[in-house]
Amino acid sequence: MAQNPFPLGKDELLKAYRTMRTIREFEERLHVDFAKGDIPGFVHLYAGEEACATGIMMHLNDNDRIASTHRGHGHCIAKGVDVHAMMAEIYGRSTGACRGKGGSMHIADLSKGMMGANGILGAGAPLICGAALAAKVRGDRGVGITFVGDGASNQGTFLESLNLAAVWNLPVVFVVENNGYAESTAMEWAVSCDSYVDRATGFGMPGVTVDGTDFFAVYEAAGEIIRRARDGGGPALLECNMVRFYGHFEGDAQTYRAKGELEAIRATRDCLTILSERVIEAGVIGRDELQTIDREVNALIEDAVRAAKAAPLPVAEDLLRDVYVSY
Amino acid sequence: MSRKISMKQAINEALDLEMRRDPTVIVMGEDIVGGTGAQGEDDAWGGVLGVTKGLYAKHGNRLMDTPLSESAYIGAAVGAAACGLRPVAELMFLDFMGVCFDQIFNQAAKFRYMFGGKAETPVVIRGMVGAGFRAAAQHSQMLTPLFTHIPGLKVVCPSNAYDAKGLLIQSIRDNDPVIFCEHKNLYGLECEVPAESYAIPFGEANVLRDGDDVTIVSYGLTVHRAMEAATALAKDGTEAEVIDLRTLSPIDWDTIVESVERTGRLVVVDEAHPRCNLATDIAAFVGQNAFGALKAGIQMVTAPHTPVPFAPSLEDLYVPSADSIASAVKRTLSPKGARSIAA
Amino acid sequence: MAPVVGIVANPVSARDIRRVVANATSLQIADRANILLRVLAALQACGVRDVLMMPENGGIRAHVERGMMRARSRGEDIYPALHPVAMPITGTVADTHRATAEMRRAGVSALVVLGGDGTHRAVAAECGTVPIAGISTGTNNAFPEHREPTITGLATGLAVTGRVPPHIAFTANKRIDVSLINGANGGAVTEMALVDVALVTERYIGARALWRTENFRELYVTFADPEVIGMSAIAGLLEPVGRDESGGLMVRLSPDGDCRKAATTLHAPIAPGMMARVGITDWRRMPADVAFVPEVTAGSIALDGERELSFSERDRLSLTLRDDAFRTVNVAAVMRHAGQNRLLTGTPVPVAAF
Repeated sequence: MAQNPFPLGKDELLKAYRTMRTIREFEERLHVDFAKGDIPGFVHLYAGEEACATGIMMHLNDNDRIASTHRGHGHCIAKGVDVHAMMAEIYGRSTGACRGKGGSMHIADLSKGMMGANGILGAGAPLICGAALAAKVRGDRGVGITFVGDGASNQGTFLESLNLAAVWNLPVVFVVENNGYAESTAMEWAVSCDSYVDRATGFGMPGVTVDGTDFFAVYEAAGEIIRRARDGGGPALLECNMVRFYGHFEGDAQTYRAKGELEAIRATRDCLTILSERVIEAGVIGRDELQTIDREVNALIEDAVRAAKAAPLPVAEDLLRDVYVSY
Repeated sequence: MSRKISMKQAINEALDLEMRRDPTVIVMGEDIVGGTGAQGEDDAWGGVLGVTKGLYAKHGNRLMDTPLSESAYIGAAVGAAACGLRPVAELMFLDFMGVCFDQIFNQAAKFRYMFGGKAETPVVIRGMVGAGFRAAAQHSQMLTPLFTHIPGLKVVCPSNAYDAKGLLIQSIRDNDPVIFCEHKNLYGLECEVPAESYAIPFGEANVLRDGDDVTIVSYGLTVHRAMEAATALAKDGTEAEVIDLRTLSPIDWDTIVESVERTGRLVVVDEAHPRCNLATDIAAFVGQNAFGALKAGIQMVTAPHTPVPFAPSLEDLYVPSADSIASAVKRTLSPKGARSIAA
Repeated sequence: MAPVVGIVANPVSARDIRRVVANATSLQIADRANILLRVLAALQACGVRDVLMMPENGGIRAHVERGMMRARSRGEDIYPALHPVAMPITGTVADTHRATAEMRRAGVSALVVLGGDGTHRAVAAECGTVPIAGISTGTNNAFPEHREPTITGLATGLAVTGRVPPHIAFTANKRIDVSLINGANGGAVTEMALVDVALVTERYIGARALWRTENFRELYVTFADPEVIGMSAIAGLLEPVGRDESGGLMVRLSPDGDCRKAATTLHAPIAPGMMARVGITDWRRMPADVAFVPEVTAGSIALDGERELSFSERDRLSLTLRDDAFRTVNVAAVMRHAGQNRLLTGTPVPVAAF
């Protein structure tokens, strides 16, 4: 085997690949099962954006908190939320991460530092300021990461949080996942200043733009930004330019896309292909090793779906449970 | 040891005691230090009306001034609560809830249920409510019905210094989000308050006056108007029982129903607007659960269905008065009471 | 026919990790647009009536068009007509290549470039003999000179309208050609750098910027300028080599940044705000047209300060410096000429008298 030229050891590289592949398979499977009518409600898929969640989360531990978005499955998996519990939640089962009470848009696992996907766009930014404040008060070196799409970056909550984090010098990283579309509305139309780095600069913190389809670009930039925040260097913004393989939600016909756009991004900007070719070309990981992971991930997702379908539904007494801690 | 202090001092004392007791308690809000980093910070404002004055000198950075940015800092308080702190966030005037309500009703109130019982959000959001301060339409509302409507929120509205201290201490210790409503016209009102720490449990109404002829239920400032009315009615031989709810969510149904079953008459007084408020809520509950005990139609005394007016001559008409409460009581006592409709 | 000028303005330069690790500048999009408006006003003042522009979706064009519309609505006629090149936008460096090639084919007389060294490199790859007028909106920017863009616009306008003779208006520049032949499949990649090629040990492209000096191994520069930031400064602080001299400099750095093993320890500004110790093994002149084969056998190739290609032991890498590789507008010379000949007064001194 060749000498490893990467900033991660082989085990870590395999872990990153496994995480990205798990997210991809999870979402591809939901895409199929949703179309079959097996899944209630609606889901927003993270497929195509895996390098962003993974490149960032590789730097975090359970003590670090993240606040996610409506498109949160990838963040959950990368943060270590149990895949079986996630699948059961999406199927509305009592074995789900939230016992079937939350669904796709509200998966949370505070024990893993995952403060919830969020159905309210931009709502995670103030919450993560609070998580970072708690870490700062305790002095435990924890950091908070909030994800926001290019669309929700226009929310007042997001802009207010940039200011608050700067004023309180909180260990927060604001990650803008720029996939070019706020639902269906083009980012170029909806974001007046056109650059998230400009927004960060305006609030007195550094901003960085990276190619969000390149795991190593995200990993390296996030590493510097997170280390800085952990050490007390304050908040920063990371813009990841990336691509969404599916629509805003499942069932979206995506008529707003350019002709051939989806085919082109799948062919040239697939973060999983980019990562695997890079590590294989460097001679650090063999194709067979990645294929083994692919098989294991397929089996995992298959088992998660099987278990979810077999799991019990929440029952009448669950309806009134857990409104308050005590009343 | 007990001494006479104002409701404002009682709230200050509750915060001080809880911050001493529990290092996870932090207090944040606009101007609550009122001069962090300024030369006079040791003698800084302590909130626009001085409720938190002096706490910064005692607790330092655990009191945090915030930018005028309610969504961000109320959300931060909620997020910090979900991560193990017990933040008390002052929203100055609870009317400002309009700009940060999402963080309260879509986030804080829902975490526990939405996350399958796996989250706790012990945050207190406290601020001023109520009219009579010449503060006009956007700084005077009694929005308690809005908060009470939301599952997951607890709502507290004390009528005196003693209750304010005990209920705020309980609010901070409670593991659910609590909206703590402080009537600004009661801040200066003094009563006997023990110096030591004590907590008043939620869901226990306070019977301020016993009586067998009619039950008057209220909370906040109008409790005092109800007491005035009861005193006046007693001169004519009518003995009113006056119940101070203290907490609106949870609410003490038992005390209300038990009283009405004895008196057969109910007047509910609410400073909120007349539709879908605590008065309609209580009237409906009693109508459904104690109809057989009622000797007359339930009377509701509320503010009118208007924004709070500025002109003193109008604002004085806005808040339910002792006279209007006494009139309502008289309607329940008249032979036609059962059929009359409040004017 | 009045000359046409092309503009390439990169909306994503100055956005990399050096803002976090070194407090580097991040020029706002609105400011880039304002720079363009200043350039346009200067070009119009010199008689340029039509300008082609690379389309982009980073916001520069939208701000520029808003500025021009506001001027028109006030009744001001201070800008030339702006024509975006008709081409699809990918948001990558391919846009700069494509736009530059299209503008060259359309016969522009000069290309005004807003960006860092990387943007200028992309333009230089496709501009042929069309001269470049560079404006720095990037991070390290050894290549474009720092100057008020109005003056760059004026010089470009004076040069392309023929009011300054070409031998004064335009100068030749060097570049380094990089040839990488893939040992596995025989495929060849040729790249180029305007200022520097750095060979570093990280084999991934990652966040692209260079700031970990312990990974630096070999450095090749077209000019070694102690007044700039980055790789050229390392060379320039050892042995300055001018832009107008033939040949450049190659520097070998000590492995793992171990300054004790190095013959020389240099303290150099390797990025904005970043002074770093760099161990130097040796250095020597790099004559033009001589292929250099590096000693480093695997790693990444950073072109003008950004990791662009990775290579392994199987690949064959060589570097060759070329003199007279492409042309730039010599702003200082043009403006001196303009002053000496009073080109901007009502009665210019006749060129013949010069």
